[in-house]
Amino acid sequence: MIPVRCFTCGKVISTEYEEYKKRVEAGEDIREIMSDLGLERYCCRRMLLSHKEIIDDLNPYQ
Amino acid sequence: MEISFSRLDEDIARFTLKDATPAFANTFRRTMIGEVPTLAIEDVMIYDNNSALFDEILSHRLGLIPIKTDLSEYVRRSECSCGGEGCSSCQAIFTLSVEGPCMVHSGDLIPADPKATTVSTDIPVVKLGKDQKVVLEARAELNDGSEHAKWQSTLACGYKAYPVITIDDNCDACGNCVEECPRNVLKIGKKSVEIADGKLEDCSMCRLCEKACMASGIGDKPAISVKPDTERFIFVVESDGSLPVKDIMTSAFGIIKNKADSLVDVLNEISGAI
Repeated sequence: MIPVRCFTCGKVISTEYEEYKKRVEAGEDIREIMSDLGLERYCCRRMLLSHKEIIDDLNPYQ
Repeated sequence: MEISFSRLDEDIARFTLKDATPAFANTFRRTMIGEVPTLAIEDVMIYDNNSALFDEILSHRLGLIPIKTDLSEYVRRSECSCGGEGCSSCQAIFTLSVEGPCMVHSGDLIPADPKATTVSTDIPVVKLGKDQKVVLEARAELNDGSEHAKWQSTLACGYKAYPVITIDDNCDACGNCVEECPRNVLKIGKKSVEIADGKLEDCSMCRLCEKACMASGIGDKPAISVKPDTERFIFVVESDGSLPVKDIMTSAFGIIKNKADSLVDVLNEISGAI
């Protein structure tokens, strides 16, 4: 699961993840998406950029 | 002391604080970050959780969700008239009951107090698969950022000294400093280099312009000098949404005033005792 807030500054970034993922898959420029979503600082930007979603792989094993 | 805002929104403020000491500017910053109380989920009673996340990860994620706070309605549990047992004036209760397959969002938390709701309704909490279920009760309480970052009301909260750029008469408008400036603060004027309109506050005082000026062989001293003004500060305060920035600032000032008053009382007591 995407972390709720940015580790460094504490901004809530998890709300933007769904849209980010959708737009990345649609082939948009990542830099533009992030600026569009209001992620100005590089601490918040790396939260989305470096995230790997593994909840679907974990879900079969309770 | 004087405050003039260049931007004041619900979530972000940018202002200059004039006629203050560096010590006061830092006190103000520290108070906004660490002393202004907000609501955050502290206790979680988990009745059912067979999701992929452990109970403690789930409750940690719930704790980080910002909650709209009315400071006039809530008091800290330790200062409450109920004696710390927990009542409606020191804790806000939420219930959550979701069955998969679906994504559990912060909007699924149902508040007992309609005013103390989550700031955003679409923070993902956990993704549930088929036959997975989460049933819990969460209690939010008032506390401050010095206890845990989840109670911190501000995000980016900082200040810098106001830059003062002076350009001497012996500037020959060679433009080396204009090229060197990473934030485009300077421009070439008629006779000498000038500060670009409205750009002064962007100056980070890196002093690359001074070095560039020296490198152009103007003499022993650079024609441009950048110094910090130690009585004027540029602040940026960002809120996580639990309190408007204006409330954070006013309650921080109140806290500083109370602390200063109690210091005077203590000093009086000590001097009276001698």
